Amino acid sequence: MEFIIETNNLTKRYGTATVVDKVNLHVPKGKIYGLLGRNGAGKTTVMKMMLKLTFPTDGTVRLFGKDYKDNETAIYSKIGSIIETPGFYGNLTGYENLQILAKLRGQLCINAVLSALEIVGLHKEKRKVFADYSLGMKQRLGIAAAIMHDPKLLILDEPINGLDPVGISEIRSFLSKLSHDNGTTIFISSHVLSEIEQIADIIGVMHEGHLIEEVDIAVLHKRNRKYTQFDLSDGQAAAKILESHYHITDFTVQGNTLKVYDFSHSIGDINRDFALNGLLVTKINASEENLEQYFSKLIGGGGIA
Amino acid sequence: MLKLISCELLKLRRSNIIPISITGVLSTPLLMLLEALQTHFDKPELIFTLSDVYNDSVLYTMLLTNMMVYVAIASFLFSREYTENTLKTILPIPISRTKLLLGKFCALLLWIVMLTIVTWAGIFIVCGIYHTVFTLEGYSLLVAIEWFPKFLLGGILMFLTTSPFVFVAGKTKGFVAPMIGSAVIVMGSAALANQEWGAIYPWTATFFLVQGKIESTGYPTALSVGIILLLSAVGFFMTYHHFKKEDLK
Repeated sequence: MEFIIETNNLTKRYGTATVVDKVNLHVPKGKIYGLLGRNGAGKTTVMKMMLKLTFPTDGTVRLFGKDYKDNETAIYSKIGSIIETPGFYGNLTGYENLQILAKLRGQLCINAVLSALEIVGLHKEKRKVFADYSLGMKQRLGIAAAIMHDPKLLILDEPINGLDPVGISEIRSFLSKLSHDNGTTIFISSHVLSEIEQIADIIGVMHEGHLIEEVDIAVLHKRNRKYTQFDLSDGQAAAKILESHYHITDFTVQGNTLKVYDFSHSIGDINRDFALNGLLVTKINASEENLEQYFSKLIGGGGIA
Repeated sequence: MLKLISCELLKLRRSNIIPISITGVLSTPLLMLLEALQTHFDKPELIFTLSDVYNDSVLYTMLLTNMMVYVAIASFLFSREYTENTLKTILPIPISRTKLLLGKFCALLLWIVMLTIVTWAGIFIVCGIYHTVFTLEGYSLLVAIEWFPKFLLGGILMFLTTSPFVFVAGKTKGFVAPMIGSAVIVMGSAALANQEWGAIYPWTATFFLVQGKIESTGYPTALSVGIILLLSAVGFFMTYHHFKKEDLK
């Protein structure tokens, strides 16, 4: 598989604090990779190292199959990025800000600026200076700056911060379209799982500087197992019935709550058997552990955000 | 490089620092007008020429007002990239930090030269007003043009001595520290303006060089020039090193 981003033992230390610790990331070509983690997990630092904003203490970064220090011009001309809240010159309009970036990139086609502004819906605000932009508008301008030069790789750090629900949906659709239609590789970070879950092909989870999971979203969905939950009068007795009558061992008992992960037998049959053996079933619930619960467990509880 | 400089100039569009800096450097012509009026009314027998006014104005320009304005604009140019968080937008663009820095220094030089010209022209205009009302001896464009190279040289020398303040602005990511520093060096300049030691104090050595006073201090001209160049080089190098190696947090 061809990886557009590949890090090997990427490490960043500030004094004695290790904020990124031996991270090995693999972002395949044309995929959307969602980097998840709580605030302070090290996501932004990883992205900053990829973008030369911060220098790694140890480890390597390979972009487009090459060390990022080799042929920077060729590599970085194919990358668009947003890191945290986008920074622009407050006294200039959105158009002028993008014009500066286009000039620095050596972009001759000034239509690219207008078309980027149109994509993010800022083309009608050409005369408004950046200082007067709302947070959502600032974020949109950041996205326009990132996509203006038709990059092959987008590195986006929390790009939907400050956007309203409609804006979030628009940007999500746009990113999906970019990836699927143009084959743009997108490396996106967020601490909001639901946002990443809807667009990412692969998810990486960072916690306290470590990359603790890197998994295909399809595999992840498979891994999040369905179960049937029984609330009944005696959990232990019910467990014995499952083992002896049905040879089911894939279940958990917590007090009088029984979770059965094995679907080889009919729920109705099991329920009838419980009743025939004198157990009072008060509730049956078919359930699926959602990704949020899964990640909460993964990073030690407390939720992602 | 032209592309970088034009970007730097575009960044200044609608910026408040432009009118503020122009107002700042126009304080010298204003002070000269006030001095001329005071002399006219207090000592009417004293005759002074346009050349005298330019001669006196070099001290205000190089040691007091313009120096502070130049430090302010130098600090603004470099620190705004930190205060407005624009570096994280610009640095991922495939353009070297060295080129970005050079573009900024070139823009600073242009701005300083432009402001020096504003001061020089401002003096000519206020003297013209004075001349219309009271008559000023030797008031002519030719005299003003004779002083132009001195002002230009002064501007370039002052540009060279701003580099340490650029480093401080980059290091502290603001312009409070450089402005305090400039106030300190201006006080030092005021104290040494008439002293021999002024020849070896970089910020007065520039003034002595423009006014041709170095020889009268007993110090060799080469020493003063060397000190200015050394200070400038140290400032440039420290700025370069800091900018090149800095982690953007």
